[in-house]
Amino acid sequence: MASAEELAVIEKAKVLMVGAGGIGCELLKTLALTGFKDIHLIDLDTIEVSNLNRQFLFRKQHVGQSKAKVAREAVLKFKPDLKIEAYHANVKNSDFNVDYFRQFNVVLNGLDNVDARRHVNRLCLAAGVPLVESGSTGYLGQVTVHVKDRTECYECQTKELPKTYPVCTITSTPSKPVHCIVWAKDLLFGKLFGDKNQSSDLVVHTTDQNTSAATEDAEFFNLKDGETFESYACRVFDGVFGHNIEVALKNEDTWRARKRPRPLHINEVCSDSKRMRIDTLTSTANGSSEHTVSAARMLGLNNHQEVWSLKENASVFLQALELFHATRKKEFGSLVFDKDDQLAVEFVTAAANLRASCFDIPMQSLFEAKGIAGNIVHAIATTNAIISGLIVLEAIKLLMDSLDDCRTTYCLEYPRRRMLLMPAELSGPKSSCYVCSQTPLCLEVNTSNTKLKDIVEKIVKGKLSVNSPIIMQGSYLIYETGEDLEEDMVARYNQNLEKCLDSFPTPIVDGSILLLEDLQQEFTCSLQIKHRETFDEEKEPDNMVLSGKFSTAARDQTSLGLVQPAVDNNPIQAIEDDDEVILVGDAAKSGIKRKSLEEDAVVSGKRQRTEAS
Amino acid sequence: MATGLAQARLAEERKSWRKSHPHGFVAKPEAQPDGSLNVMLWRCTIPGKEGTDWEGGSFPLSLQFSESYPTKPPVCAFPAGFFHPNVYQSGKVCLSIINEGDGWKPSISVKQILMGIQDLLDTPNPASPARHEAYLLFIKNKTAYKRKIVEQAKKYPSLP
Repeated sequence: MASAEELAVIEKAKVLMVGAGGIGCELLKTLALTGFKDIHLIDLDTIEVSNLNRQFLFRKQHVGQSKAKVAREAVLKFKPDLKIEAYHANVKNSDFNVDYFRQFNVVLNGLDNVDARRHVNRLCLAAGVPLVESGSTGYLGQVTVHVKDRTECYECQTKELPKTYPVCTITSTPSKPVHCIVWAKDLLFGKLFGDKNQSSDLVVHTTDQNTSAATEDAEFFNLKDGETFESYACRVFDGVFGHNIEVALKNEDTWRARKRPRPLHINEVCSDSKRMRIDTLTSTANGSSEHTVSAARMLGLNNHQEVWSLKENASVFLQALELFHATRKKEFGSLVFDKDDQLAVEFVTAAANLRASCFDIPMQSLFEAKGIAGNIVHAIATTNAIISGLIVLEAIKLLMDSLDDCRTTYCLEYPRRRMLLMPAELSGPKSSCYVCSQTPLCLEVNTSNTKLKDIVEKIVKGKLSVNSPIIMQGSYLIYETGEDLEEDMVARYNQNLEKCLDSFPTPIVDGSILLLEDLQQEFTCSLQIKHRETFDEEKEPDNMVLSGKFSTAARDQTSLGLVQPAVDNNPIQAIEDDDEVILVGDAAKSGIKRKSLEEDAVVSGKRQRTEAS
Repeated sequence: MATGLAQARLAEERKSWRKSHPHGFVAKPEAQPDGSLNVMLWRCTIPGKEGTDWEGGSFPLSLQFSESYPTKPPVCAFPAGFFHPNVYQSGKVCLSIINEGDGWKPSISVKQILMGIQDLLDTPNPASPARHEAYLLFIKNKTAYKRKIVEQAKKYPSLP
């Protein structure tokens, strides 16, 4: 229970919640019951059936509606005096700009992706609003606090990314179940039902006289005139699991150090007479709607946790392929694998298992295969409730101005030292962080009548003394100079110089950020553009105003991945020698001050973060 | 649009390439139809090494970077159908140094990628064939393979 002092602060606080999903529902409820009165809520998603088991503010009748809006209504029912503004929108929408963020005392994240987290992190840094960041994956979760210039920002530590696999492993030399599942859902499924024009390296091409003619033919995966669904399905089976493996076996060098795969043919797996088969056409004619069609159910395979036998996998494969042709034909060409598409999951499970069998890799149950294919970690409502409680505790500490008491808290699966919740001290900002280590310069300018040329001459060369500038906007290079440039590049840049800022293909407008570098000098800074209509001719003859401080220090190369730290467990070594020269004020009253940035005092060990919510 | 680590690193790569690069190579961001230059997609040309069957050719290669670069490698591709035992039908190059979880390290530069691929041209890796037809020809019929390579080099003549 909050103290009277805390309660007073809580009641006056204005908070922004980003995300109204697993963590968001719990969080909104906890905020309301704690006494928060003024809450903004942003979520772009609509409610799905699979949310209902844990996102308890939603009911079956809400499926398809905005998460933010339904969550608001549900909470207002038991706390009618709250002020909740709900936005069914993407937080990256430009309406939610720095000025929007500035109105809040604290921002609370309950997001499910790195991209949106980065965006919110940057806006919070720019607006100077503290951020409570959170995530949960199954039993695991964490809550942490990011305050500009006081703690690490979200991007100070690189995040672990979902793994991708080299094409060769997937197409030629799988060794784990996941390789077979990726093959089945990305390559085979795409080839059969997806966009035919998309290039894929699934098919083993050959000109060998004896083995040619099967799957290298672009028509191979198409149903031929007069071909029955059944004979088509058998032909695909033999091509993909038989012929293609036989062709691959000819690459002797590949198998010198690996186990040779074994080709599979349908008649060896289950002979014609013994094949499990239900007549597709008659059974689907009985009114089952498209997305409830299930090959496994037709074959009596109802236990999704059980691993099918080779013969059962073969039957599901054939049956699912036939069903796709019989019931889903109009979606062909645009189908992509979706974990909520039952028939697709069955097909991918069977195909992956058949391939696994060729390569002597363990087979998976439908439940397991679906989890791997859809990157699903089953969410646990209790974890989300714990995480939300922790978010509110950290938010209260921030509102009470006790940042020293804030902690990163990890929620563990098994107790460690008899504790399930592990608090850890917050780390200071990383001087090498690309995102929070430097404050962008601010350039006020009329973006609709100022040309890039004006900025290059008056600001970049005039005030910042950049010799051979390189200007980038996001991923786009908009200006470079130098003897080494090709003529076509020079011509393009000369055209750019004459363009007004807001007429670039990606317009440079209020809020845009330009990255400025020098080819020769180790100089880098970012320039935040602020649009202003008019300027005082006498006091501001340039018709633009530059303000802020900038650093001329070489960027820490480790942060760009250019240098591999020699000793992994000694991060100090990689970031030593990181003094920074800071020029304060604009050109008129500039003075140079040398400041040695405090090194991160605490060397934190390898920490895990979980990304989903 | 904010500038992230990938863009910052690519700006660095672009600078270092402009300052010095191996003779005969070209690598620069791709010009879009609207005239903008995207640093996430580079158009490159790799010259065939002198004294090899690849001599005289200048082979176009694209490098597609993602937001996860340099944690993840770029996708490197020749034109579809490019004839080489370690190049897929789609043109994608199969080479350990640009395979995540294999030889890729964030410290590998664009220059090293391009020179690695130039090396691969004349020294295919038969242990990891990406295109069976090229592989078979390479191990079974060296003369026919050589003919095919020389023919291909003529298709991509070096600019004077």
